[in-house]
Amino acid sequence: MKSSLFHDIRLVFRKEMKSALRFRAAWAAMLMFALTTLACVSLAVQGGGLSPRLLAALYWTVLFFAFMAGIDRVFEAEDSAGTLLALRVYAPADAVLFGKLLYTWLLLLVLAVPLTLAFLLLMDVTVVTPLVLFLLVLLGCWGMAAAGTLVAALGLGASVRGSLAPILLMPLMLPVFLPAIFVTSGAFGAEAASLSFLFGMGLYDAVLTVGASVLFPHLWYAD
Amino acid sequence: MNRKKILGVFLAVLTLAVLCAVFFLVPPAEGLDYYVRIAFFHIPMAWVSVLAFLLSAWWGARYLRSRDMRFDRLSARSARLGLIFVLLATASGAVFSKLTWGAYWNWDPRQTTIFVLLLIYGAYLTLRAALGEARLRARASAVYALFSFLTVPFLVFILPRLYFSLHPSPVINGSGSIDMDTSMLLTLLASLADGTLLYAFLMAGGSGRDIRKEESA
Repeated sequence: MKSSLFHDIRLVFRKEMKSALRFRAAWAAMLMFALTTLACVSLAVQGGGLSPRLLAALYWTVLFFAFMAGIDRVFEAEDSAGTLLALRVYAPADAVLFGKLLYTWLLLLVLAVPLTLAFLLLMDVTVVTPLVLFLLVLLGCWGMAAAGTLVAALGLGASVRGSLAPILLMPLMLPVFLPAIFVTSGAFGAEAASLSFLFGMGLYDAVLTVGASVLFPHLWYAD
Repeated sequence: MNRKKILGVFLAVLTLAVLCAVFFLVPPAEGLDYYVRIAFFHIPMAWVSVLAFLLSAWWGARYLRSRDMRFDRLSARSARLGLIFVLLATASGAVFSKLTWGAYWNWDPRQTTIFVLLLIYGAYLTLRAALGEARLRARASAVYALFSFLTVPFLVFILPRLYFSLHPSPVINGSGSIDMDTSMLLTLLASLADGTLLYAFLMAGGSGRDIRKEESA
């Protein structure tokens, strides 16, 4: 049973990857949104002079809103093609959730690499503890992907889907967002924050993942 | 006299008693003077807004288990009332903050908590407004109510460790004892009971109206 679920997850993930390679506009839009926002901020502050705390807040804000620019696309391919019912019939809810979650996580990580490099370059930031920043990005992106996948499913059938996702996601993301900013400011040279916050983020990510897997079948299967 | 009318009369008497106690019985608090009176309004509002959130999630869970639309109506009504109570708690807290700390808002951990609650209520009701089909709306909003409830442990246990707080100590302090004048404590307990009964009264009053509204939609 477990290997079958794993197989189904892999199939959904592969479908998402193929779809993403076919419609590259979603990736490009998220990346360009992030880079444009970052360029605007860098231009406004003329490149530097900000405190590590403010830099950390800017970094996560840009990453979060870039993600928001693409989150409603998680189920859009099936919704616009009219294949949602086929996916409902052929794939178990857990496979759909985790296949899409893994894809969204990968998408966010791919987005985070150029964004982080551009951020460090344009804002003249030195990373004191690169490993901590790496772990933060992994955990932060997982939290956003877990909550984002469920929220994207919530928006199916909504009349105002595009603007709904950030409204639904923001309160759920604060427990990831605030410790991430706190620890990132340490990685950017402020007084180092306790690494127990990383553990807390990991724990919250796990809670979000379990919560999403328990609740998603209720959304996926109609009455 | 039916049960609702008895509750209404009892609520009116209790509210009057609490108001009398707040204005004529409670002594000025150390460091807060008579501004402490706001707390007897603010704390029950904050308590009821959390209670309404908890019950909205609870009724959401009941809906998902039974698919009985009655639970969806209760969940939605609790969230609507919760939004009103959280707005009142935020406004009274901001006034208290201005009078005692000199600023309406400074992102104190408890202000952040109440703000997150405000965002969740707003998001929940926006989601309901955006979904037209009743069953889909009930399912999605129950899921969101339960999913957003996962933030509670963070707001209660982690957030206060992240930021310094100017907020007065809770009723039961860190050593586990109650550090409050007896008349003040009794008045606070009465105001909490009053707020909870007000919520129960408003919940009971809306069920029939919600059914008629849903049927006419």
